[in-house]
Amino acid sequence: MSGQLAALARAHLSDRRRSLIAWGVPLGLWSAFIVIIFPSVEGALSKAVQSYPPALREAFGIGELANVEQYLHAEMLSLIVPLALGYLAVRAVASGLSGAAESGRLDVLLSAPVSRRRLAAASFGATAIELAIVLALTVILTALGSVVSGADLSFASALAGYAAVWPLALVFAGLGIVATGFSLRTSVVTGSVAGVLVTMYVIDLVGRLDPDLSGIRYLSVFRYYGNAIEDGIDPPAFCGVTAAAIVFAMLGAWLFERRDLSA
Amino acid sequence: MGISLTVGMAVIETERLTKLYGSSRGIEDVSFSVEAGEVFGFLGPNGAGKTTAIRTLLDMLHPTRGSARIFGLDSHRESVAIRARLGNLPGDFGYGRQACGREALGLLARLRGIDGLGRAEALAERFRADLDRPLGELSRGNRQKVGLILATFHSPELLILDEPTSGLDPLMQEEFLALVAEERERGCAVLLSSHELDEVERVCDRVGIIRDGRLIAVERVAELLAKTQRHNSVEVEFAEPVELEDVRAMPGVVDAKFTHATLEEVFLTYYEEGEGRAEGAGAREGEG
Repeated sequence: MSGQLAALARAHLSDRRRSLIAWGVPLGLWSAFIVIIFPSVEGALSKAVQSYPPALREAFGIGELANVEQYLHAEMLSLIVPLALGYLAVRAVASGLSGAAESGRLDVLLSAPVSRRRLAAASFGATAIELAIVLALTVILTALGSVVSGADLSFASALAGYAAVWPLALVFAGLGIVATGFSLRTSVVTGSVAGVLVTMYVIDLVGRLDPDLSGIRYLSVFRYYGNAIEDGIDPPAFCGVTAAAIVFAMLGAWLFERRDLSA
Repeated sequence: MGISLTVGMAVIETERLTKLYGSSRGIEDVSFSVEAGEVFGFLGPNGAGKTTAIRTLLDMLHPTRGSARIFGLDSHRESVAIRARLGNLPGDFGYGRQACGREALGLLARLRGIDGLGRAEALAERFRADLDRPLGELSRGNRQKVGLILATFHSPELLILDEPTSGLDPLMQEEFLALVAEERERGCAVLLSSHELDEVERVCDRVGIIRDGRLIAVERVAELLAKTQRHNSVEVEFAEPVELEDVRAMPGVVDAKFTHATLEEVFLTYYEEGEGRAEGAGAREGEG
């Protein structure tokens, strides 16, 4: 029945094709802009950063801004991209389930011999592909920015930095399916999971700012996010977070299977 | 897909099927059966429980108690196998705004493991449905036509239709009723939910009347109509104009009244005459 999964995922991606451009191009252009301006602000930045309190630098992952990779991490990868992609993930997965329920499409699809678990799996799989495409588009535009500006950005480092966002965002897709097990209203699903996303970010931030509270970071998936653009991808963290996303998706599919789909 | 059922074989069987949920009224102790080659009408006003019963049969709602078997399979545990053999038109059909009918058909065909679109093109021509425009740009009636095609293109063994003629113009309603009759001839079982008494009378073999979530009567349409024969009312068409008083004076006549044709009858008469003229003109052009 992988044919059904592929057909559902293809249809999901086809519906989301505008979203791929709407998210990938602005993020990529923004990232490219950061890379392009780096050579002209390089010296001033280092001085400015040294004036920040050490705790603040630590909290936002701003170390030295001696190279473009460090600048890209501080400006894009420490906050904006993870939060944006996390939100995109939950929107994407919700469009295939609660969005489909609201539009009536779910009733039509469930008139065919397809299980709800397979629908949830297809929505999760398509979201994983959508996230990968948006990140790939962002990396490509960023690399183009580096070529144009001569910023000397390592493509492999940029790829690692953006790739590390993928499992993190996928966790929120998994949580989106869990939320669908409780509500078929897209606003409730996206709102509740977006709340979890921001809460997890704040928990990780507080844990980093206050060493006494560092233990609470284990409640947040951001604890395992790291700084891949400088340190490279941490395979155990990457695989572990991906596995957690899959577990959430499976739990959500189980809940979705058991719930009533009211008219 | 061929029909593997024998006419008269029970396709749907429910036993005290009950769905109670939240503050909304569901259905309670609903028991009925639908046979192969039969059109069963589910009759009741809006909110009576028709849609709840259908959604419970389709496993979109899980029953609180009671059971339903379709093709002899449990409607909850074996729902996927059941849905491989049925076609369903949900009430208030929708599929999103961007996709067109052809895309929806393509996806459903792949989900059903069908190569191509079955008889979808022929049905689209018959219902004058536009399969290439985004569904969001279609009127409600034209969307409903696409929904009908999605429900029937794979020639299912069971058709479940929830308010199927909603939004259709009278001509398309006629075409739809003809299609349902053809499906019955093919051996398909049809469960048709409606509050349009006229269409139920014309196409259904048996009806179940549902009120406040309970099935209060299940009877053959012919028997229901026979019960009204005690009124001894007849409708007579005269070839020429007559005076009402002359009719009342006829032996055995207690009362007589003129009735006007319904708007539907007038519309169909005009339209069919128009089509006849257009076909005649086309034929003359062809001869020229």
